[in-house]
Amino acid sequence: MTTLTYFPGCSAHGTSEEFDSTLKLVMKTLGVQLEELPDWNCCGATSAHVMTENLALALPLRNLVLAERLPHKTMGIACASCYSRMKATKAEMDAHPALAQKINSTIVEEGTYKGNVEVKSMLQFFYEDIGTGQIKAKVTYPLKGLKVACYYGCLLTRPQRITRFDSPEYPMSMDHIMEALGATATPFDFKTECCGASFSISNTEVVLSLSGILLEMARESGAHAIVVACPLCQSNLDMRQPDIEKKSGITYRIPVLYITQLMALAFGYPLKDLKPAKHIVPIEPALAHIGEEIESPQKTPKSKKAVEAESEVE
Amino acid sequence: MILLGQQIENHFLEEVNRKSGSNVLECYQCGKCVSTCPVSNYMDFPPREIMQMVKLGLKEETYMANSMWFCLTCAACSGRCPREIDIPRVMEAIRHLAIGENADPDNPRVKQIRKFHEIFLDMIKRYGRNYELRMMAEFNIRTRNLFKDMHLAPKALLKGKIPLGHERVGRTKAIQRMFRMAEKLEETK
Amino acid sequence: MARVGVFVCFCGANIADFVDVPAVVAEAKKIKEVKISVEYKYMCSDPGQQMIRDAIVQHRLTSVVVAACSPRMHEKTFRKALSDAGMNPYLLEVANIREHSSWVHQKDKKAATEKSCDLIRMAVAKSIANEQLHEISVPVTKRALVIGGGIAGIQAALDIADARIPVVLVEKSPSIGGRMAQLDETFPTLDCSQCILTPKMVDVASHPFIELLPYSEVLQLDGYVGNYKARIRRKASYVNFSSCTGCGACWQKCPVKVPNEFNMGIDKRKAIYSPFPQAVPNKPVIDAEHCTMLLKGKCGICAKVCEKGSIDYTMKDEIVEREIGAVVVATGYDLWDPKPYEEYGVGRFRDIITSLEFERMVSANGPTGGVPVRPSDGKVPKSVVFIKCIGSRDEAKGIEYCSKICCMYTAKHAILLHHKVHDSHAYVFYMDIRAAGKGYEEFVKRAQVETGVTYLRGRVSKIYQKGEKLMVRGEDGQLGQVVEVEADMVVLATAIYPYKDNPDLARLLGISYDQYGFLSEAHPKLRPVETAKAGIFLAGCTQAPKDIPDTVAQASAAAAKVCGLFADTTLKKDPMISVVNPEFCSGCQNCINVCPYQAIVTEDIPLGHGSKELRTVARINEGVCQGCGSCVAICRSMAISLAGFTDMQIINEVVAI
Repeated sequence: MTTLTYFPGCSAHGTSEEFDSTLKLVMKTLGVQLEELPDWNCCGATSAHVMTENLALALPLRNLVLAERLPHKTMGIACASCYSRMKATKAEMDAHPALAQKINSTIVEEGTYKGNVEVKSMLQFFYEDIGTGQIKAKVTYPLKGLKVACYYGCLLTRPQRITRFDSPEYPMSMDHIMEALGATATPFDFKTECCGASFSISNTEVVLSLSGILLEMARESGAHAIVVACPLCQSNLDMRQPDIEKKSGITYRIPVLYITQLMALAFGYPLKDLKPAKHIVPIEPALAHIGEEIESPQKTPKSKKAVEAESEVE
Repeated sequence: MILLGQQIENHFLEEVNRKSGSNVLECYQCGKCVSTCPVSNYMDFPPREIMQMVKLGLKEETYMANSMWFCLTCAACSGRCPREIDIPRVMEAIRHLAIGENADPDNPRVKQIRKFHEIFLDMIKRYGRNYELRMMAEFNIRTRNLFKDMHLAPKALLKGKIPLGHERVGRTKAIQRMFRMAEKLEETK
Repeated sequence: MARVGVFVCFCGANIADFVDVPAVVAEAKKIKEVKISVEYKYMCSDPGQQMIRDAIVQHRLTSVVVAACSPRMHEKTFRKALSDAGMNPYLLEVANIREHSSWVHQKDKKAATEKSCDLIRMAVAKSIANEQLHEISVPVTKRALVIGGGIAGIQAALDIADARIPVVLVEKSPSIGGRMAQLDETFPTLDCSQCILTPKMVDVASHPFIELLPYSEVLQLDGYVGNYKARIRRKASYVNFSSCTGCGACWQKCPVKVPNEFNMGIDKRKAIYSPFPQAVPNKPVIDAEHCTMLLKGKCGICAKVCEKGSIDYTMKDEIVEREIGAVVVATGYDLWDPKPYEEYGVGRFRDIITSLEFERMVSANGPTGGVPVRPSDGKVPKSVVFIKCIGSRDEAKGIEYCSKICCMYTAKHAILLHHKVHDSHAYVFYMDIRAAGKGYEEFVKRAQVETGVTYLRGRVSKIYQKGEKLMVRGEDGQLGQVVEVEADMVVLATAIYPYKDNPDLARLLGISYDQYGFLSEAHPKLRPVETAKAGIFLAGCTQAPKDIPDTVAQASAAAAKVCGLFADTTLKKDPMISVVNPEFCSGCQNCINVCPYQAIVTEDIPLGHGSKELRTVARINEGVCQGCGSCVAICRSMAISLAGFTDMQIINEVVAI
């Protein structure tokens, strides 16, 4: 039985509670124990590194030091922003031991950083440590008929030299997991374009614009729903969707689900466990597509010239 | 018109290079960052132009730009830059230099963004974890926009999307100490 | 009794500013063996050399020391002065008091002067032990090997053959022609590429001095300049070329289809095929990796329909050997794979093609009848975006260098698109426009003005699909605005890159290559067609990206070098090479292991005079030895000495300090 140190992040018991609760259900089915990091603190998110230098490193460093007290070798982080900050801090501390020593000794008193706990996003953990094979094996309710646009956002696969996971431009890990669940992942060119991130409150206009583009492209790709693994992306695309619809005059009604919600559903958990009430855009209409027939992909017609050329040689 | 040639040294460039770990001189102005950046059309000067301004040593003008405040740190640009310049870090370096020199662009949107970050950090200082509801309320009050996002409130609160209560870290005094020590370190630089 | 002449040069201000030349001259006079010590402003000039010549005669000198610049500059000049005066040129010693003294000790004139005196003292002592050496003559085989049958190889072969020197031209594909045969029209003249190339190809095939070996590759090259031996594999074509008429009945009936390399994989060819209609030789070959008969023993249709009975499935590869005096390497270029540009959707979007694919499409003998066509649905594109610098000038995803030709061929593509599809519009995303050749700037202007092509300055950041179109996003740096172009097709100007096996070829030949695989020239400015290995020359893009005029010029230059090498019946060689004294040689063969040029072999000699018993000793091949001295250092029996740097000479130098 693997045990993962679990870093929930500030929104896990708040705005992204459904991510947290379905994550725990999914882990139970997969046979992974989660141990929440005791006394974890906010990683600093965007604000810390925007405004400060040392504090931005110290806040995540405290968590890394606390994680080293537990015997588990990997810390899984649900929130993409927290994951990015922790991993970036770890990379910085590992690359510059003198700086690490300075921050550790002056600011973080919970212990000395050793650097022996690996930091992974939950998506990475599912894809690398569990694998699509194992995930497929646990599916009791295949999501056949459901078309989803897998939206990764900025921080799960970028910057590449820090995450070293999947592609920074066109990742496929979430798509493959969705396919293992039986759903169809639509070809979505905007899967790593920014949703507006932390400007949700302070610069809402930007979020409406950027998330609006994402909703439009998701719809054009033929998706019934968008799947995410980041609470801020979920909030921007879901909570702000009515505002986007008002501004653009287009009705989208595309629900935004966490990857763990769909995994839980496919693993056989009842709909109520997904906490559908938490969503601003209702999820039931999209899920109703499950069980529908999908049309087979059409063969592209050969060009006239190509046909001529071939017959010439005959 | 910009007048050049009066100074030989470019301290601004040296500082930005040192803090960012990149060499801005390597930028060959290809513009890939500009069309990559999701907010470049909101910026006074898109990333490419900020690089040029740093190269020319135009410190005051750079500090007055809103560019580094609008940077989302999405890292799409640096992933595509052919010269592998860490553009978000360059933006961050300029931002930190500006904060250190108390430069404040007289731009209402930037003021709002700064205020948001200050409040967020305040929450962490108090509780060790973010208290979303209080943060949003304080933001509205401090930006004199009481009814911003109020239309979201009924649905959000009813659905429990934004919890009324909050959590805190066990020893908030430890967090406050961290803030103090971090500030001290910053001053000694 | 040694009689040494010392000649100290001012070298203008180069030496005189930092070394007290008169003092040096006076100090040298104090040496017992020095019979004349003089100074002059420019020793390398005619009067300076005359001074040396006169002194040799007048003072009956036995050796000469010139204290001046580095021997790399003027050793040859002064040696000639000696031989002009009837003295063995190897009795000269050069004391470098410029690079080794005045240039590096500019802050301390006193020390520089003292050091110069020391250097001269050493040179005088060494020169006393100098021996009279004579240039070595090495025989030369007057036959050239040209590897690669593209325009570079063709031009080099023709130029050498026109000088009545036999050439063996080896080409790995079934026909010569190379990349130029794949082009439609060439810049800046818009000449039809095939039309100007095929006459040269025919010349090659019919030239009495050229032996064309198509469908062949070089396996091994042994030997040294003037005396190489090449082993070449002639791949089995399974077609009897002497009876085959090139009628084409065989490839019409062949049922196997293989992606057509000549057309960059756009269409298919057969397992028995000739690469293109104007192929030279115009005979098909069977691709053994795809022929059903050769793989499984089934089919055999081509043999059945061949009226001349030219098909022979039992043919085998043939190994041939040729004695060669010089080699010209002209193996050309490959295109870089744009796969790392994930943000463009390379590999995901079918309507994104490379520049060579576009070139094949617009070619009259191409797979789409001379009109560009969208691979996805076969429609003719109206809005085409050309993106330059794909891989080039991109340290993050590709290579740092510029591929030189893409700016010009992209302007050409804009013109060709305009000619083939009248109601089309071309867009070019660029960083710079490099049009440095003759008529090039005018050509680009012509493209811009005649076709209305839109040039946008900025690298493309992303390409995404919108319905049937591709949206190409980039910044127009001139306007300072982000633009998106709705495109039917996107053409990527991908970087020029060496073939993957270029390093293997380099190792085979014993020459060096750079970090990308381009073959290394001896000196980037002054020796662009030679390699560090005597007798092996380079031509064309195998050395670096370049256009056709430069390729042809370089090929002719390489040919001129070959002709120069073959101008005499023998080759003269520097005599400062190692020599084994068999008396002391124990036959341990350490020297053979350590020689970087494989210049030492073993020899069995009689134990003593008239004895029947033999013992093994080392023998150094005069022609190959470069005089590096590795064998001298390692020989534990001290049996090897280096002419011009004998133990006595070195000891003299050391003792003199």
